[in-house]
Amino acid sequence: MSEETYTFRIQRNTPTGNGRFDTRWQEFKVTLPTTSTVLSALEEIKARQDGTLTFRQSCRSAICGSCAMRISGRTRLACKTQVGSVARDKVIEVGPQTNQPVLKDLAIDIRPFFERVRRVDPFLKDGPESAKKVTKTAYDQVNQVTQCIMCGCCYSDCTMAEVSPAFLGPAALAKSFRFVSDPREGMKTERLEFLSQPDNMWSCSRCTMCVEVCPKDVKPMEAIVKLRTRGLEKGLRSGVGARHALAFHEDIQQNGDLNEFTLMMRSVGLGGTLAELGSALHLMKKGKIPSPFPHKAEKLGELRKIYDILEKNPLDVETKAAEIVPE
Amino acid sequence: MSLDFAYFPGCAAKQVQKEADTAARAVCQELGITLNAMPRATCCGAVSLRETKPAFALAVSARTLSEAEEQGRNIVTICNTCLQTLSYANFRFKEEPELLQQINGVLKEAGVRPYGGTVQVNHLLWVITDKVDQKLLKSKIKKPLGGMKVAPFYGCHNLRPSEIFPSGDAGEKADHLHRLITLMGGEPVSYRGQDRCCGFHVMLSDKKEMRAMVATNCINAKEAGAEVMITPCTLCDMAMGAYQGIAEKSVGRTIGLPELNFAQLLGSAMALDQGRLGLDRLHVDPKPVLSSRGVI
Repeated sequence: MSEETYTFRIQRNTPTGNGRFDTRWQEFKVTLPTTSTVLSALEEIKARQDGTLTFRQSCRSAICGSCAMRISGRTRLACKTQVGSVARDKVIEVGPQTNQPVLKDLAIDIRPFFERVRRVDPFLKDGPESAKKVTKTAYDQVNQVTQCIMCGCCYSDCTMAEVSPAFLGPAALAKSFRFVSDPREGMKTERLEFLSQPDNMWSCSRCTMCVEVCPKDVKPMEAIVKLRTRGLEKGLRSGVGARHALAFHEDIQQNGDLNEFTLMMRSVGLGGTLAELGSALHLMKKGKIPSPFPHKAEKLGELRKIYDILEKNPLDVETKAAEIVPE
Repeated sequence: MSLDFAYFPGCAAKQVQKEADTAARAVCQELGITLNAMPRATCCGAVSLRETKPAFALAVSARTLSEAEEQGRNIVTICNTCLQTLSYANFRFKEEPELLQQINGVLKEAGVRPYGGTVQVNHLLWVITDKVDQKLLKSKIKKPLGGMKVAPFYGCHNLRPSEIFPSGDAGEKADHLHRLITLMGGEPVSYRGQDRCCGFHVMLSDKKEMRAMVATNCINAKEAGAEVMITPCTLCDMAMGAYQGIAEKSVGRTIGLPELNFAQLLGSAMALDQGRLGLDRLHVDPKPVLSSRGVI
């Protein structure tokens, strides 16, 4: 097994009182096999070079979620990340998770993350929508999202959470989908009503970062897309996000292309459009106002036929979790 | 390698961001890349259509992919979201043959040629950095950037989810924009933001947050020394470029970072006609920087 000497650039955060920190980057050299984990390296540094280095860890098996931290530009589990796969010119940069307050060095206060999870009532509720019968395939959706270990990687790298502390965040939304898609759940509509409020499911920017960084392949954004579909099916259409999605579908079905000229009006309404006049004038300066008569694709009749066929005979095309076969 | 493609510019390039389209055509003409029209292709639907009508969204993508297949060509696009949407459908059709069969059943019933699953979906940037002969490309750089510091802004849907894109083109190790900047004689700027979100898709629903994203990315790039920013996506162009002034007002700070579509900067470095590159349609004028580096 080949060994390399790596430079670990580690962010050291020392509390100086009143929520302030003395933040500096410290370098450590460690010689390790390329397949060692970042967690092994951190333990080596703590044992032999600097016992004051603070980080969380527990199971070493990517199941407890304690060791999530920023490693080479992404939030990852230190116990699941091999040094050779993240080193850039033999340098590995390690910092604490972002979007949550730091306690010391690489340890963060994970309360804001769990506070969001609690906001979605993470437990099954009895109610009028509880299924009496459960089929073999009824858990296909649930199984995908129950892989979540609450490590916080997705929330740490969430581009919306970075600018919006009010945003519910990917893990809490995926957890919510776990209950909305569970046949036994009795309050599905009530949950979707809550999720349709501002800063919840419609505020995801669909940057897909959470899908990329999740160490357990939960695909939170896919769950968010499915929640939106279910919300629309329940007639929850009053928010800007929902109306915008509906305007898209209306345009494509009727014209093939978007009518960007009227898209804003249909999404934010007349009041919202008037409030945006300043922005519109700014865009107009460079001729960036769409034509009210967009291009029409050829053979649009085909599209309307496809639409009608699927309205008459709906197809379930949702992705499902792979069947889990015990070894 | 054939450089003959079915061209899917996307809605933004047909209207508000038409300079990206004219610049792409100008650059392609120079490099021997043929862009063939797709008269039947419609809006890709983005994730919005997947939200309202998931099956219809896949059928719309299949119809577009089928049109390219009928032409015997692979698709090339200049919009990241179109790239992601078509690649997502294509990926699922490959992974789930039964799904493709079901969707094809609907296409046939509607009188549309079924999709055989053979089309590749490319971004024009990938074609230029990985399929065009790099010696030819280099020889076309008549006005190198002279060490200009350029912030690469990849845009989410050019990178993620990496599993749906051909390996090497996407994901966190993607470096095509960096390579293009170096080849043009510029210096890629390293800053927090190159793989972040421009906020375009929440422009209407979460206005303040979208503007904060634009401002944060532009400020980070500028503070890292960037003189201009380039992106491969017409929607990122609109957010980071056309909306930058609106974002400035929202955060109460002047930024003034010229933002161009990658094809506009490449076309400038190739000394192509400025009118075709649409430099006058940008909100932050890139010409002072371009002329200070001897590009124009």
